Amino acid sequence: MQAMDRLLADSWQALRVWRVWMFLGVQDVKARFRRSAIGPLWILLNMSLFVVGAGLLYGVLINQPMKILLPYLVTGFTLWAIIVSSLTDSGWAFVNAEGYIKQFCFPKQIYLLRTLVSSTIIMLITLPAIIPIQLYFGSFSIVGWLLAVPGLLLLLLASLGHITVCAYLGVRFRDLPHAANGLLQVAFFVTPVMFPAKLLQERHLAFIYQINPLYYIIEVARHPILHGEMAAPEVYAFAVGYTLLVWAVAGLVASSLDSRIVLML
Amino acid sequence: MSDIYLRLRGVGMTFEGQIGGQEGLQSWLSRWFAKEPAAQQRYRVEALNDITLDINHGERVGLIGLNGAGKSTLLKVLAGIYPPTAGHVEKSGHVCPMFEFATGFEMNQSGWDNIRIRGLLLGMAPAEIEAKLHEIAEFTELGEFLSYPVRTYSSGMFIRLAFAVSTSINPEILLLDEVMAAGDIRFAEKARRRMFEFMEQGKILVFCSHNAELLGTFCERTIWLDKGKVVADGPTGEITERYRCMAAL
Repeated sequence: MQAMDRLLADSWQALRVWRVWMFLGVQDVKARFRRSAIGPLWILLNMSLFVVGAGLLYGVLINQPMKILLPYLVTGFTLWAIIVSSLTDSGWAFVNAEGYIKQFCFPKQIYLLRTLVSSTIIMLITLPAIIPIQLYFGSFSIVGWLLAVPGLLLLLLASLGHITVCAYLGVRFRDLPHAANGLLQVAFFVTPVMFPAKLLQERHLAFIYQINPLYYIIEVARHPILHGEMAAPEVYAFAVGYTLLVWAVAGLVASSLDSRIVLML
Repeated sequence: MSDIYLRLRGVGMTFEGQIGGQEGLQSWLSRWFAKEPAAQQRYRVEALNDITLDINHGERVGLIGLNGAGKSTLLKVLAGIYPPTAGHVEKSGHVCPMFEFATGFEMNQSGWDNIRIRGLLLGMAPAEIEAKLHEIAEFTELGEFLSYPVRTYSSGMFIRLAFAVSTSINPEILLLDEVMAAGDIRFAEKARRRMFEFMEQGKILVFCSHNAELLGTFCERTIWLDKGKVVADGPTGEITERYRCMAAL
């Protein structure tokens, strides 16, 4: 229990020095695009290329109207990206901060928050790409975007849980980020990101997404953005349940490894 | 003003692990596939053993001892970087650790940004950093190189940058691990002067060195560590003399 108390005290202290991890997170994004001519616009550009290419092909393949499919793809893919980064890149969060952890006495949790900050920024740059598409098809709804806020916050909370689990385990098991990457590629094909969930329903395969927690944490943010209304209550329930579960695991992992991280680096 | 102190109660630090450095998945794999299971060689090092210490406001304490005596481990425990495996540490005051100057950089970011990051990690407020930025930059003498990504720096340039930032803060509890040698001849002299001023500022100084003369200059009290235990604790002159006699044997 003592380990848990210390972890909570450390986490609280980490939250209080928000300027430190905020700065580090912003610097990470900036460094990524330093000396590139159009900088973070690349994120938008790559996303647009992907969506137009995949959108046109998939639209024909699975016979969906562009009006529905294009905004669906951009939203889903953007939200998927933050989940992927919270489960893969985060494995290096402590490993990359080794030089800091071994010589400065800030709580280690700032390196988790730093990872969350940079992936959140990338998400916030990409999300607005949906707006022109929605405007073009006349499906833009400001209410929907506002209603998406709780869902987005839930997604970020779940991501912070993912980051915690992966960062701690990533120090112990250096194969983890690679393994997570492989598993997520499989998960990508079974999660309704590139195709609507309806399609699985029609083929009586609904269970494929119904048992997939990643579907729920995407849907809580995606549904309001696309349809201008809150998602179904059970979707929120599952998303909250999953987030709580991830946090419970994160608490367990962190409290048992926290004091040994510096020795394992 | 609040009192600044460091208190150690029965502090122990034991490192345990497996010789060969294979941990995690790698070790499981090699265990499964090894034809003959290799004998598990585990190590257990008691770097610190039942250390009880009180360091109060205004004290300047030297740490002396042979290599591997536990001096650096003690400093890292004091800094809160190593959580002790036994006993506990109580402290009040902002700790400023100064252990090494060669690591902890963002390689792809400029010297300026690395000054900011290092300042933040040492506990400076952003406004304080901006106010001191030019003074720090001037001290490094790196000029236009500060705009270059630090991956282009030589090791001496890293030391200049880190040293300039670390010594620009107002320390309460200053922990130093033998860091006097910094940079080329000219910089070393300048660094030495700045270091001396800096050490005067700390409300508490814990300074680890093999140089008895330096300890004599800065510390009234010296603690002699051997094999993770406190051998002697007292006035610097006396302790360093005894240490010298022992080392001469």
